[in-house]
Amino acid sequence: MKYFARKFGMLIFTLLISMTINFFLPRLMPGDPAKALMDRMEGVDAEKLDSVRAAFGLDTQDSLPVQYGKYLLNTVRGDLGISLSRFPMPVSTVLASALPWTIGLMGLCTIFGFAIGTLLGIWAAWRRQRKLASFTVGFFSFIRSFPYFWLGLCLIYAFAFKLRLFPLGGAFSIDQARGSAGWWLSVLRYGTLPAFTITLSSLGAWMLMMRNNMINVLAEEYITLAVAKGLPAKRIKRVYAARNAILPSVTGFAMSFGFIVGGGLITEMVFAYPGMGYMLYQAVNAKDYPLMQAIFLIIAGSVLVANFIADIVIMFLDPRVRDGAK
Amino acid sequence: MADTTLLEIDHLKAGYATKAGFVRAVDDVSLSLRRGEFLGIAGESGCGKSTLAYAIMRLLRDSARIESGRILLEGTDLAGLDEADMNGYRWTKLSMVFQSAMNALNPVLSIEEQLVDAVLAHRSIPRAAARDLAMEMLELVDINADRFSSFPHQLSGGMRQRIMIAMALLLRPDLLIMDEPTTALDVVVQRSILQKIQELRQRLGFSVIFITHDLSLLVEISDSLAIMYAGKVCEYGPSRELYGAPAHPYTKGLMNSFPSLTGPLGRMSGIEGQAPGLIDPPPGCRFAPRCALAEPRCLSGDPVLAELSPGRACACVRCGGSL
Amino acid sequence: MIKDFLKTLVENRKSLAGLIMLGVLIFIALFAPLLAPYPPKADRTERTALIEETVGDQETLSEERLSDDVEKSTYVVATSRKWEKTVNYFPLRAKPSSAHLLGTNHAGNDLLSQLIAGTRISVFVGLATGLFVTLVSLTLALLSGYLGGVFDDIINFFTNVFLVIPGLPLMIVIGTYIPMHGVLPIILILAFTSWPYPTRLLRSQVLSLKNRDFVMASRMLGERTSFIVFREILPNMISIVMSEFFAVSLSAILAEATLEFIGVGNITVVSWGTILYWAQANGAILMGAWWWFLPPGLMIALTGTAFVLVNFGIDEISNPRLRKR
Ligand SMILES: Nc1ncnc2c1ncn2[C@@H]1O[C@H](COP(=O)(O)OP(=O)(O)O)[C@@H](O)[C@H]1O
Ligand SMILES: [Mg+2]
Repeated sequence: MKYFARKFGMLIFTLLISMTINFFLPRLMPGDPAKALMDRMEGVDAEKLDSVRAAFGLDTQDSLPVQYGKYLLNTVRGDLGISLSRFPMPVSTVLASALPWTIGLMGLCTIFGFAIGTLLGIWAAWRRQRKLASFTVGFFSFIRSFPYFWLGLCLIYAFAFKLRLFPLGGAFSIDQARGSAGWWLSVLRYGTLPAFTITLSSLGAWMLMMRNNMINVLAEEYITLAVAKGLPAKRIKRVYAARNAILPSVTGFAMSFGFIVGGGLITEMVFAYPGMGYMLYQAVNAKDYPLMQAIFLIIAGSVLVANFIADIVIMFLDPRVRDGAK
Repeated sequence: MADTTLLEIDHLKAGYATKAGFVRAVDDVSLSLRRGEFLGIAGESGCGKSTLAYAIMRLLRDSARIESGRILLEGTDLAGLDEADMNGYRWTKLSMVFQSAMNALNPVLSIEEQLVDAVLAHRSIPRAAARDLAMEMLELVDINADRFSSFPHQLSGGMRQRIMIAMALLLRPDLLIMDEPTTALDVVVQRSILQKIQELRQRLGFSVIFITHDLSLLVEISDSLAIMYAGKVCEYGPSRELYGAPAHPYTKGLMNSFPSLTGPLGRMSGIEGQAPGLIDPPPGCRFAPRCALAEPRCLSGDPVLAELSPGRACACVRCGGSL
Repeated sequence: MIKDFLKTLVENRKSLAGLIMLGVLIFIALFAPLLAPYPPKADRTERTALIEETVGDQETLSEERLSDDVEKSTYVVATSRKWEKTVNYFPLRAKPSSAHLLGTNHAGNDLLSQLIAGTRISVFVGLATGLFVTLVSLTLALLSGYLGGVFDDIINFFTNVFLVIPGLPLMIVIGTYIPMHGVLPIILILAFTSWPYPTRLLRSQVLSLKNRDFVMASRMLGERTSFIVFREILPNMISIVMSEFFAVSLSAILAEATLEFIGVGNITVVSWGTILYWAQANGAILMGAWWWFLPPGLMIALTGTAFVLVNFGIDEISNPRLRKR
């Protein structure tokens, strides 16, 4: 339980740090983006200017700590300010439309990528003497050095532009009634290429990590003992090698997940997929600072929570962690 | 028990393929072991003892392999078996205790799981029966039943090693190979483990190959001894005779490095120098460069084991070994 | 130690291939202006040719008598030249041709020249970030491992905190706020988000080396800290430090391209990322202009592969288990 408490404390603290970064960023920036923005908006209605001021903390006489306190309180309550590009919609309303798309796309892809990548990694380590295994490892290492968005561009070019198998972008067909069977089918069709992009590029990372862990584990003495005991190869592979090799993968989730989510955001931008990533893209280009920051906060929050879950999973998988012996 | 041969190792060569060349860690070793016999194998670390043990269990993997020779267990050549057939022999006929129980036990599986799966791999019995068998065995090594569901990191070093022994004896093998089973333990625990082994041996009647770099451990318990140096057996024979009159200069050196019981506690005299590399070792006796008694002829050829008396052999020109 | 390391690196087939690729890229980056057919931002060629020249068709003779016996004459020969300036505008959005091997972009810039010039920025940003982050992480790791105590706790804690905050969204947000002049801001942003991972890795390496026998012995003997750190700890960290350097450089190149692609960053600079930005902004895909968006991505991928290959080699050197045999 000490472990749980420690990890939970860490979660709360990292969330707090993310919020703090978010609070200070606009107030610390050189070149005064608020002023630049307001200059640009010369002549716009006063109401909009007010919300810009609010976003940069220029509308109050409060001292910084008081502002900070209010900001934390508002954020926790889900009040993320007013969007500038879709004035006067609250940021939270804008985000609500994007969130399901991202959760659907990224959630599925992360699970697929992790599952397939891990299985491939186990295979590649177990059969590492084989040509096909080293070829696969080489292939995915190569894919991994592609920029995500470029892989997306290439897939669009090949499968959407040239072969016309999939749409060029978007998430669903506008010809179908929302919620109808045809609409759901179109969601699948529109989602295929972005999902493929994210899965293909994240899969490699999981695979290489699992392969290296597995090779390290296979050299452990407890594997030798398992062989000496005359256990069937399948059982050694699954219960002794893979079971132990996956532990660092779950721990490594911390680093990789944030990375994959980043890649997923970019993929959404390339495919104009109406999730958080594409919205971030629009916010960046419209200099919609409140929206942009809210997106950062939500993404950071989900990554942190996912990490926390990984920490808890590890607790169930590894008795040493449970006892605080590791 | 009848005086029958259980294991016969015949001109075994084994080692590791490395970038620099083939490390022949076991070089032309021949040994034999009777049923119920306790054979001690001693030698400095790096002389190929573990490689020999691994070769017998057929555990050499990746770059390691058996080059040539036979390992006859009751007439079957283990070296020639395929993996599936070998699995039939492992743990049922011969089993092994590793040096570090901490490393050899899977850290994330419970003791129960690790004991039971050894049984279930070889016997088609219900899980509950396998559990009972495992419990029974744990009792024999004085481990309380409430430790059954523990994980390795929750146990002491001595307990872990006793569990390893229980695991190795689960299926009542004929041969137990122990590779430095007590090296990682402190002296008191070491004693109790050795006593336990003797006690179990009397009860269950298995043969033991006991590997150690510390010859003094074997004084009281082994029936016969093989001394290894740089991949080769340099002296071999019944323990008592070997202790009484060591023939090979290396054996004498090892015995001199015993801690003296009467003298002051301190560093033992030991043997100067280092063993040669095992990739293309120079011709001549491998011990010659460190041997106080070396003569010019020692450098010209490698002496083979020469029989001194029945069951006693030495590989040194001074005890009549030919080159 | 460093020599040994380099020797093994060159002996390893993978890392040798990676080093060669890296060498070629650095060569292109250094000699970009000489290698590129046109300046990266040129949209025309200008040629001035002499089309007519007349010499001596006018003659002036002036005479002057200074005294009785001195007479001075001046001859003037006039030359007239006619020049013609030809301005050859590059076609816009042209397909590959012999004049423009990779075609041109929306502004008529030669894409091959941009690709070559972009090598400079991309490779420079990658390596500079790699170097900067590696130095910072190494310093933090050594301080943390060596000073220990509260200092170590603090560094370790913040490393773990920043490790899990997702880097790319943070980079995008900061990048949107900061005015982008030159490439320094982007290097700083990349560095700010990529220090935690190498710091954590290097710190644990320092801690484990610190407890090795030979370091313990030196400490017992009362060796100076600087001796222990620079002569005993650092030499044993070469492979991990190098591998982190390459890993950070790789992710910096990828992240830079990503930021530029989405328009965060200085889009007036010519780099692989900005070529892709303009390609996307001008609908290169819908034009089927593969020559516009394919090459920059391939260059990034090749650079990445070079780093990955070198690191494969380093991994195999430092972790013998990963070796094939
Ligand atoms: N995986 C390996 N690759 C190459 N050489 C090895 C390997 N394992 C052991 N050796 C070498 O084989 C020799 C014998 O090792 P080992 O059998 O472990 O000796 P011992 O058990 O007597 O200490 C040593 O010289 C060692 O360096
Ligand atoms: Mg050994």
